[in-house]
Amino acid sequence: MKVEMQNIRKSFGSNDVLKDVSFSIQGGEICALLGENGAGKSTLMNILGGVIQKDSGSILIDGKRIGFEKPADSIDAGIAFIHQELNLVNDLPIYENMFLGRELKTKRGSLDLQEMYRKTAEIFERMNVDLDPRKMVRDLDASYKQIVEICRAMMTNSSIIIMDEPTTSLTDAEVSRVFTMMKTMQDHQVGIIFISHKLNEVMQICDRYLVLRDGLLVSEGNVSGVTTKDLASYMVGFDVRTESLRREKDPDDIGEEVLRVEGLTDEEHFRDINFTVHAGEIIGVTGLLGDGRSELFQAIFGADTYRTGKLYLYGNEIKIANTYQAIKAGIAYLPRNRKENAILKDMTIFENASISTWSMFSRRGIINTRKHRDVFEQQRNTLRLKMGELTDSIMSLSGGNQQKVVLSKWLATNPRVLILDNPTQGVDVGAKEDIYDIIIKLAEENIAIIVLSSEAQEIIRVCDRALVMYHGVIQGEVSGNDMDEQTIMRLATGGEPELKRSEQQI
Amino acid sequence: MMPNPEMTPPVNNNKKRNVKEWFQHKWANDPLFSILIALIIMVILQTLTLGFDYDSIGQWFQAWTNNWINILRNNAGVGIVALGMTFVIMTGGIDLSVGSTLVITGAFAMYLLDTGASGILGEIGITGTPAIFLTILLVLAFGYLLGALIGVSITKGLVPPFIATLGAMMIFRSVTQHFTQGYNTTVPTEFLQIASFKLGNLMIMPIIYWAVIAAILYYVSKRTTFGRQIIAVGSNERAARLSGVNVNKVKLRVYALMGLLVSIAAIIQVSRIGSMDFSNAGRGMEMDAIAAAVVGGTHMLGGRGFVLGTVYGMLIIAVMNNLLNLFGVPPFLREAFKGFIVIVAVLLQRKSESS
Repeated sequence: MKVEMQNIRKSFGSNDVLKDVSFSIQGGEICALLGENGAGKSTLMNILGGVIQKDSGSILIDGKRIGFEKPADSIDAGIAFIHQELNLVNDLPIYENMFLGRELKTKRGSLDLQEMYRKTAEIFERMNVDLDPRKMVRDLDASYKQIVEICRAMMTNSSIIIMDEPTTSLTDAEVSRVFTMMKTMQDHQVGIIFISHKLNEVMQICDRYLVLRDGLLVSEGNVSGVTTKDLASYMVGFDVRTESLRREKDPDDIGEEVLRVEGLTDEEHFRDINFTVHAGEIIGVTGLLGDGRSELFQAIFGADTYRTGKLYLYGNEIKIANTYQAIKAGIAYLPRNRKENAILKDMTIFENASISTWSMFSRRGIINTRKHRDVFEQQRNTLRLKMGELTDSIMSLSGGNQQKVVLSKWLATNPRVLILDNPTQGVDVGAKEDIYDIIIKLAEENIAIIVLSSEAQEIIRVCDRALVMYHGVIQGEVSGNDMDEQTIMRLATGGEPELKRSEQQI
Repeated sequence: MMPNPEMTPPVNNNKKRNVKEWFQHKWANDPLFSILIALIIMVILQTLTLGFDYDSIGQWFQAWTNNWINILRNNAGVGIVALGMTFVIMTGGIDLSVGSTLVITGAFAMYLLDTGASGILGEIGITGTPAIFLTILLVLAFGYLLGALIGVSITKGLVPPFIATLGAMMIFRSVTQHFTQGYNTTVPTEFLQIASFKLGNLMIMPIIYWAVIAAILYYVSKRTTFGRQIIAVGSNERAARLSGVNVNKVKLRVYALMGLLVSIAAIIQVSRIGSMDFSNAGRGMEMDAIAAAVVGGTHMLGGRGFVLGTVYGMLIIAVMNNLLNLFGVPPFLREAFKGFIVIVAVLLQRKSESS
């Protein structure tokens, strides 16, 4: 089977996500779909999977034009979409999961468990999967869950399977298990579109690659003809660097050490983390999905736990058991995903801006409204906050202004270390620049700032140096001229750090 | 200064419009406004049903007042419990154990004070007024402790509030019934004064307790760190934690406060009646308290609730009971009306929110 997507266009509002993308894939082929976050990969695949509708263009299957209006159309056409969040029910056995939504029934209308079991066992045998269909899905590791999803796709006679970052949460052993499965499917003449950020894996398993950037197909070809370095540069493009906000600083002129982290480990998300931040410094921490940076800094902030390792503030070891202690020690953490982690939707702008200092400013538990108001009014100007009344609901503000309110809450705590996790997420361009300006200004006031971001560009524009994480470890540190998107992308995809030029000279 | 002609538009017309605008503004922005209107309508209806006699207005007023004192006094206990329930629900939790906590703290009070053979305080030689005060103190502490225990199981043990308090409900009642079998207590008459002390010939002490507690809790909910943190926790627990709120401490204190308020209700009930029916007292109290909170605008998912709203909610339910009584509706049907009111109240609130 051959699937062609021709001249696909899609825009959301004024945002053109796909601008005339064409590609094709055949059975028996494993094709990597690459691109940075927001490049349009998911949109393209969601169109192929019938989840969203294209604005224009056509989808051809074996040369025949087919209209995809809902996911079922896509499945009927032989295309299976395995989403990153697997569609499996933990509390049912494998064989019932295989028939979820299309259960087999006996003549009397009850579930035909025996037939479902038999068919599952049959497909497992055909695909060389060594797995008992009666096992509960809950007891499977992530790779076997993937495999169950793949087998389910095989059962509906899919000839093209889209896999959206299937290996993100897998260990190396699990990855190789999934790869074996993919090879088996390839032998069965199934075509696979493999979305991944891990370039080493792409080199290992894929035949072809497609690179999307800003809604355009910028490069395609055979994997054998390129290196991971080439792929990384295709993904980011060469012309992306915009005006840097980095300050010209004498490298010897660094402030005193504020926060030092030694050997911090929680086993699950991050391991053996060491770094130091100085007063007035802006350091970036970046990586791809599953790098563990948010979990790391939430642990430092006392919202999560860590097993081993030490934290030092101004050279003194500190122990932080909860977030309130962190705030009192002078650590502030602006979380990612504002809506889930920062916004109190039932409360006012003023309350959202003052919650972290309620206890700090209160006397005998009574909130000191006047003091909060003084602090907030002062920040309102510096943050260029556009809002109505203090007592309006936080939901009355735009994303950018909501983020500024959250930021003002943290500034009210008078932090020594300010951790900003994706600070410009869901924020419009103007507010984004405002936030960058604020970050620079705060650094000049000698606050140690840590910016966590998945956008390499953001890191390069704002930070003095950056740590790149890969699967819970710091893969490398970049600064100065080494801090470019290619290097960051190479480290973030698990590439080895090259020796720095300065070190080579020694 | 020269008067600006534009500042003085035709007064009459404007006043009329102002009232309408004020009403609309209030209706749209003050969540308690519609509840208050509902309460006023119920009270008017009740007053009309009582009959208005122009000839003897003094006597009519007397009867009206007596009826109201009765209503308020009968509902003071549940009213106090409902206030605590409002806080609990505001954090996103629930407390099903209040009825059982009422009997176990009530039984505890009677054990301490029994004038018969086995009053604990009497045996160790504490009698009279000191015994009364000590009893009050110990019973309040006991209630607070029981609530805190429930709070610990919810915060440290991660038991869902529904399950933790369901378990507590069974345990407290069953333990109380077992240890009070065949036990006949009488409490000293001084103790009865707590509820039946007459102020200007009116037996309104329970009403005063209710009002004072409502006023304190109103202040707590509006102006204290604890009060606002309750709403923050219920609104978005994760965001609250990431903002430095000690979520577990807030929850623990909310359940402890609930236990404390129930023990106050227990003292009031024991001192009003002089005894307690351990197998039936407080049964269904949790539902009445939840109903009052919900009618008063509290969201079952947390993040929103009003102390004043719960007082209104309690009064609406109480007045409705009174009305059903006056209309002679059979007792078994009255629960149905209560259920109906709760559903309609929530329905109306959802409607006004979406519009």
